[in-house]
Amino acid sequence: MRRIGIILAGWFCLAAFTASAAHTQVRLVLSASTARPGDTVLAGVDLKMEPAWHTYWKNPGAAGMATKIEWQLPPGVTAGDIQWPLPEKLPPAEVTTYGYDKEVVLLVPLKLATDLKPGPLNLKAKVSWLECKEACVPGKGDVEATLNIGNETKISTNATIINSWRDKVPAEFHGWKNAFFMRAWWETQANGDTRQLIIEEFSTVADAWSPVEKSDFFPDASDEFEIQGATEQISNTSLKHSLRKRVKKFSGNWPKEISGVFVIEGKGQPTAFHVTLPVADKAEASETVPPRPKSISNPPDATPVLSSQPLWRMLLYAFIGGLILNIMPCVLPVIALKILGFVGESRSDPRHVRKLGLVYALGVLVSFLVLAAVVIGVKAAGHRAGWGMQFGSPVFVVCLTTLVMLVALNLFGVFEVTLGGRALDAAGGLASKHGAAGAFFNGVLATVLATPCTAPFLSIALGFAFAQKAPVILLMFLAVGVGLAAPYVVLSWNPAWLKFLPKPGAWMEKFKIAMGFPMLATAVWLFNLAAGSYGKSVLWLGVFLVLVAFAAWIFGEFVQRGRARKGLAFVIALILLVGGYAYALESQLRWREPVTEADATGSLKESADGIDWQRWSPEAMAKARADGHPVLVDFTADWCLTCQVNKKTSIEIPSVRAKLKSMNAIALLGDYTRFPDNITTELNRFSRAGVPLVLVYPKNPEAQPIVLPEILTPGIVLDALDRAVR
Amino acid sequence: MIKLMKTTFALFTALTLASAAFAVEIGKPAPDFTATDINGKTVKLSDYKGKIVVLESYNSDCPFCNNQYKTGAMQELQSDLASKGVVWLLVNSVNPNNSSHRTPDQAKKEMADKKIIATAWIDDNSGAVGHLYGMKTTPHMFVVDKTGTLVYDGAIDNKPDPMHDPRTARNYVREAMDALIAGKPVPVAQTKPYGCGVKYAN
Repeated sequence: MRRIGIILAGWFCLAAFTASAAHTQVRLVLSASTARPGDTVLAGVDLKMEPAWHTYWKNPGAAGMATKIEWQLPPGVTAGDIQWPLPEKLPPAEVTTYGYDKEVVLLVPLKLATDLKPGPLNLKAKVSWLECKEACVPGKGDVEATLNIGNETKISTNATIINSWRDKVPAEFHGWKNAFFMRAWWETQANGDTRQLIIEEFSTVADAWSPVEKSDFFPDASDEFEIQGATEQISNTSLKHSLRKRVKKFSGNWPKEISGVFVIEGKGQPTAFHVTLPVADKAEASETVPPRPKSISNPPDATPVLSSQPLWRMLLYAFIGGLILNIMPCVLPVIALKILGFVGESRSDPRHVRKLGLVYALGVLVSFLVLAAVVIGVKAAGHRAGWGMQFGSPVFVVCLTTLVMLVALNLFGVFEVTLGGRALDAAGGLASKHGAAGAFFNGVLATVLATPCTAPFLSIALGFAFAQKAPVILLMFLAVGVGLAAPYVVLSWNPAWLKFLPKPGAWMEKFKIAMGFPMLATAVWLFNLAAGSYGKSVLWLGVFLVLVAFAAWIFGEFVQRGRARKGLAFVIALILLVGGYAYALESQLRWREPVTEADATGSLKESADGIDWQRWSPEAMAKARADGHPVLVDFTADWCLTCQVNKKTSIEIPSVRAKLKSMNAIALLGDYTRFPDNITTELNRFSRAGVPLVLVYPKNPEAQPIVLPEILTPGIVLDALDRAVR
Repeated sequence: MIKLMKTTFALFTALTLASAAFAVEIGKPAPDFTATDINGKTVKLSDYKGKIVVLESYNSDCPFCNNQYKTGAMQELQSDLASKGVVWLLVNSVNPNNSSHRTPDQAKKEMADKKIIATAWIDDNSGAVGHLYGMKTTPHMFVVDKTGTLVYDGAIDNKPDPMHDPRTARNYVREAMDALIAGKPVPVAQTKPYGCGVKYAN
């Protein structure tokens, strides 16, 4: 009888115990079965709920309770904070909670001390939670797992479970990587203890891949205030998501900063990231406030966190970038013109020289304003903008080729550019060319030719600028312009610094003609660009150029310098010009309808023993990484001189070829010549506004890519490749 | 159709936000209500003008709420306040389809079993009073002073845990009451309520 009593009591105890935790099963899983001292092992507390039962997130919301884990760890093992996978928003609307349905694995990094002795370690934890369906029940369970300490790391059979849940933990916000920018502000002043908060995320790329249905914000928990569950969608366009939340204050001041998880829901898995945002008093005040990531865990070789850089530093980068542009290959021919200008001017009145320096600067600045306006316009129209994008337009290339050839002919003395249309002697011509209009034109030309180049500093600054609001874009472009123009303005103020140059004289005419040749080389380069768009018919552009040159000679020889029948000569020149345009450009070249090459797949090898380049696409990229190859990506463009120089000196070279082969790497070539949208998107993801961008993706498919600098050396490339297989 | 659904959703959200705007506010008159208690008696808040009133959002199946009663801490507070002439109204907004719903007879038995000392147990199965006050959780506490002004809205104490000993926690209702009786301003007028969500009818 007594025995039955004991059994009954035992049964009751058991019943009571299972009832209190009947709806959730808990167990502990580890990412590794054996680990080395000094390793960090990821532990997963796996909670499996019965259908319709749920447990809660770190901020349970209006009700509920976050799951707690109390570790009982042997000495030398330290548990970190819980990493919470993205929860679901649970109804009802009036008491919104955040929690997990069916199953969740809460992840905790366990740091192993370096002096741990080999052998098994018993890891234990007490887990307590609140499980709710119609009613709520507190639950608890003791879990344990064994980890071996040894001299090599062996992943456990549960590693895949842990990895799949780790993917669901919202990453800390990195504006630079995601090309997202966020801000928050109070929409209304306090109405008693509630206020309305607007949270906005704008991006250059976010939803290139999937349409967005809605966005949401799951706040971190706070005792002082509550960001309530209801979310009102304000806008979900391709570039901006914004939403309205009601905030109730319990005590203290209104928060200056909020934190939580921003969720963008489209088709498939939602995108979510954790962010800490300052809250501005109103929209204008927060115009350019960049988000402040709570913890920046940059890989050591990553680009700086652009979005958190102060504006003044970015402006400084833009200025330095502009300065450096002066010695980049694209702008060199214009330098020739400028040097000549200075020599010519050195005779004249210093006031005049200064004026010309300023007019040149004005030409540069006006051109940059126009560029900025175009970028802002293109962005406002919902398209993506990039540095040098005008070179993606064949029509622009044809016009520029013609213009640069005319500049060369002008330097050769075939014709003069004069304001009054009068022929002048050589010296006078020089002076007039470097009059106000000439100086302004030089400024414009320098800018136009500078755009296919990016210089060190400039790419960082532009990457930042292209993701900003209109006023900042304008300011950044002006800073580049000021940098580009600065040396000439300074020199025109102090012509004495140019004393090393010889005195003006007959040599100048020869120098002028000599400088026509780099200009002609530029024309040939542009002509080659056009060939990419028109294929074999580019011949007709050549024919057109010859006709224009002929017309220019007739104009110079018989109209400007001629004595009789000027009218006839003018008419002939005009006929050549119009006829050349109508026949060669319009009817034969069909210059406004360029042929677009079909995207070919397969190798883009440049020579028999060259790198086996494959065409870049997001799919090719994903496949190469999934197959476990290290990947070298070169985003380049025919018009990008920096890219061509990089390729010749540091990429398409025997040592790199051999290295790529030996590490079984895939080489992907992204051709930005005609400005395809998917590459713009990819560039923006790395906060770049243009090419070059060279990336090395490590073999480990989860590792971050190594971003190489703008100007490469063989050492930089080889070193990055080395690190990719390490 | 999808557009219509979206519009409806937006409207719904806006309404939810708007209704939240009508929720009670500290320092403003507590909204009056008329309700029925488990004995069928009519309870009107304004009838208690001149007395301090405590409103408690109640559901004893909720472990947070139950913790206050099974430890006896809540009854101690109720008895102490009753002796000082304070009115205590239990508001049970659990909908009739929920397993935690109590019929008047079950409620009378539960009140006796748990030795709850309350002026009235309001049967709010429609959720009218709960929604009027924006009651989020069980327990969610409100204190109305003698002039009918709301002076406290929030949690019972500072330990959002269903297993703690409430006597070791900082009880905000007791603090508010002590201040009111001493004629001082309430030190903490608002906190974030914790507990289980109120099981309103859908």
